[in-house]
Amino acid sequence: MSNDDSQRIEAYLSKVRRSLRGMNDQDVREILDELRSHILDKAPAGLDTALASLGSPEELARQYVTDDLLARAEVSRSPLRILDSLFRWASLSVAGFFVLLGSIGGYFLGAAFILCALLKPFFPRTTGLWVIPDGAGDSAISLRLGLTGAAPDGRELLGWWIIPIGLAVGCALVILTTRFALWCVRQYRRSRVPAHA
Amino acid sequence: MKEPEPEFVDKWEVQLRKGCLELAILAALWDGKLYGLEILRRLESASDLIVSEGTVYPLLSRLKALGLVESEWVESDAGHPRKYYALTAAGRQRGREMAAMWTRFSASMSRLIAPLGKGKKEHV
Repeated sequence: MSNDDSQRIEAYLSKVRRSLRGMNDQDVREILDELRSHILDKAPAGLDTALASLGSPEELARQYVTDDLLARAEVSRSPLRILDSLFRWASLSVAGFFVLLGSIGGYFLGAAFILCALLKPFFPRTTGLWVIPDGAGDSAISLRLGLTGAAPDGRELLGWWIIPIGLAVGCALVILTTRFALWCVRQYRRSRVPAHA
Repeated sequence: MKEPEPEFVDKWEVQLRKGCLELAILAALWDGKLYGLEILRRLESASDLIVSEGTVYPLLSRLKALGLVESEWVESDAGHPRKYYALTAAGRQRGREMAAMWTRFSASMSRLIAPLGKGKKEHV
């Protein structure tokens, strides 16, 4: 193999590497080693054909990244793993960024409801869902964890019902957010099906 | 507005190939371990599933992440190591399930589309 050929192979691989950002180093090394091995096996019959039949390095890398996102999300439904995948997706696309924002919002609100239910027995006078007048005639609904001392000026809405309702709403939010995130990742992956599978 | 017919059929065919590729890879590995290029050659000689070789490697890595295949690097006479894939127990199980599903599915599809093949002969 000529020097020129080796350089072209490494140039192709480094383009793949650039588009694999977000994946861990070990996986990236493994992917590049495998592609190099494939190209070296096919190079004697023509390097041009070998590289062309792998497709563009960017498209190839994109398949790894989206497959990786989905595989991770499928293997684990834990919100932390899903958020981890979404962070990586967000670093790749605007769509990923918005899905990440939405999911953080969903998990955050879900966690707040669950915490509220759990803290109610310890801070019965200050924890709960409150309607708080804002002074200008309007009022705002506020979920209070009750860790900061005095009870707010306003009316508490649910009383002890915050425990079952908070747990139910919180868990529902976490589950719905997980489903929403997985659904989005799947849609994204489907839209990324290359023109020639 | 109606989408042009050929494009629709092309996209459908791409999805179909892509959907089958996973099962085809599990089947290719049924008799023992192979490296990527061997899997590709086997699929190419037995089917017209492969259009872009680049599709197979990301899919292999996904199958590995799902625990359906395992891999090991083996030194070769060619002077560079090759990454061999083998089915795991879970991969075998999944392969059997998918094959059974495929057989049922294709039998019922064949019955369903039988009337389409009658009359005008048209190559899709």
